[in-house]
Amino acid sequence: MELPRWRPGKLTQIMLHFILLAYSIIVLYPIGIMLLSSVKGTREIFTNPYGWPASLRLDNYSKAWKLANFSVYFQNSAFVSVMTILVLLFVSSMAAYVLARFEFRGNRALYMLFISGLMLPVRLAVVPLFTMIRDINLLDTRTALLMVYVASGIPFSIFLLVNFFKSIPKEIEEAAIIDGCGLFSIYYRIMLPLIGPALATVGIYNFIGTWNDFFFPLIFLRTKSKYTIPLGVMQFFGEFTNQWDMLFSSLTIAIVPVIIIFMVASKQFIRGMTAGAVKG
Amino acid sequence: MNSEIPTRQSSFLLFIRKHNYLLLVLPALLLYTVFIIYPFLNSIRYSFFEWSGVGPMTYIGLGNYHTIFFGALQEFFVRALKHNLFAFVINFSLQTIFGLGLALALYAVTKGSNLYKTIFFLPNTLSTVIVGFLWNLLLNPQWGMVNRFFEMVGLDFLSRPWLGDPKLALPTILAVSAWRGLGFPILVYLAALLAIPEEYVEAAKIDGAKGFQIIHHIYIPLILPTTFTLMTLSFIWTFNMFDLIFALQGASAGPNYATDVLGTLFYRITFGGMGSSATGMGLGAAIAVVIFSVLFPVSYLLNRISKKFEL
Repeated sequence: MELPRWRPGKLTQIMLHFILLAYSIIVLYPIGIMLLSSVKGTREIFTNPYGWPASLRLDNYSKAWKLANFSVYFQNSAFVSVMTILVLLFVSSMAAYVLARFEFRGNRALYMLFISGLMLPVRLAVVPLFTMIRDINLLDTRTALLMVYVASGIPFSIFLLVNFFKSIPKEIEEAAIIDGCGLFSIYYRIMLPLIGPALATVGIYNFIGTWNDFFFPLIFLRTKSKYTIPLGVMQFFGEFTNQWDMLFSSLTIAIVPVIIIFMVASKQFIRGMTAGAVKG
Repeated sequence: MNSEIPTRQSSFLLFIRKHNYLLLVLPALLLYTVFIIYPFLNSIRYSFFEWSGVGPMTYIGLGNYHTIFFGALQEFFVRALKHNLFAFVINFSLQTIFGLGLALALYAVTKGSNLYKTIFFLPNTLSTVIVGFLWNLLLNPQWGMVNRFFEMVGLDFLSRPWLGDPKLALPTILAVSAWRGLGFPILVYLAALLAIPEEYVEAAKIDGAKGFQIIHHIYIPLILPTTFTLMTLSFIWTFNMFDLIFALQGASAGPNYATDVLGTLFYRITFGGMGSSATGMGLGAAIAVVIFSVLFPVSYLLNRISKKFEL
């Protein structure tokens, strides 16, 4: 819906577009340089940093892919991120459903306990978290990441989903109860499909956070075969410091899939990632 | 004894049968308690001990806090805290001036705002460390494209060791962080502007208000709550800063600790980084508790203020 709003005249419009265009260039230019450099040779990057490549060295990608072991990192990142949002959406939507719909003593307190997590940056609890993960023999496993990501995603997910559940009219469930549906099947068959948009928001928010996280893999992981993409890129930068063609191709490999996914669903991404700060 | 257990069991079963919905809360509650609440409380406990992570823990009371505030770590702690505050001031100023400015521009243009929105937000979706590694190359003093650009356009005096100069390093990192993060405040501000009822603007126009007057008297007061929300987030964010500094300067936050923040200090102390001899889980936990006791009251306060300004 297009709101009628403050619309300055033509001259101001041109000026505003000039500003917006200038900022767009600031944002896109470094990414463009990265893309250009990723298909040049190292010497060419140094001698001709801005121009078009003399020839497109597309094999840079396959070289960097193999040298850096990207297939392993992509698998690890995908595994951890996908599992995180699946488990997170499942456990937090169940809890949110109960908190939104059932009246029992302690409901409010339980909700507040979950919400208080919004104020606790998990990283600050990393010392006991680290020793606990070590003591239960989960150090250097992707499971450790999964557990921490799910747990740290719970407060925000429950906050969002409880509000969403509350906005759904009760008549829908009442009809299902009369039809003799059990508790779990009401949640799973009736309620879950109704909160689809909220699940998408929570899912995207946590997927991006998990996919991009660097801190917990840095703390928990030791072996290269467990590394996620950010840690893998760090490892690669340490090994191939002077081979800028490889470095730029590795950055491109890490960044471009995210850019493509974002371009396809930018509206959902923006909604998901700004959900915490934008009300309504 | 023997007769007591079955009755208890059956009363428990009865309770569960009556309140079977509670079983649905259980998985989330369990994960949350074990991996968030328990470690948080444990952090506070650890902070009273001297412990290298293995072996016995020695209770030293407030010893770790003494080390941070008055002892060997004082210099490091004060410097890091100053850097965090500096980062907050810069980050908040940039996001208010440029975030709001660009949001107003997006709000006012008749065409292309969706494309701009997508472009502006794009770097936000990228991993902070990977953004750090990209800029590490771009800012390389000899071959980096930033300095090469300044040389090319004849502004040689701007060609500097951006990350190597102690005076420039932190501002440079904050600029990179703004490059990645500015899309967020832009879009949050834009959403706030779009939520302003059109009647207000119309009424002001009828009263003869023009461009900047409308901005000053209608838009600015109405987006104050958003500004406070963003201020809170900026505060939390800058006090959690770690990834970008680690990617650009390493754990020792060089040159000569010029970019050391509480996050990197915490990491070095806890997990042992280069250049720091002190390694301790107890001391690290104490730093975490200190960071948290700065973060919590301030963000709580800012949140309360922001609620006050809401209509």
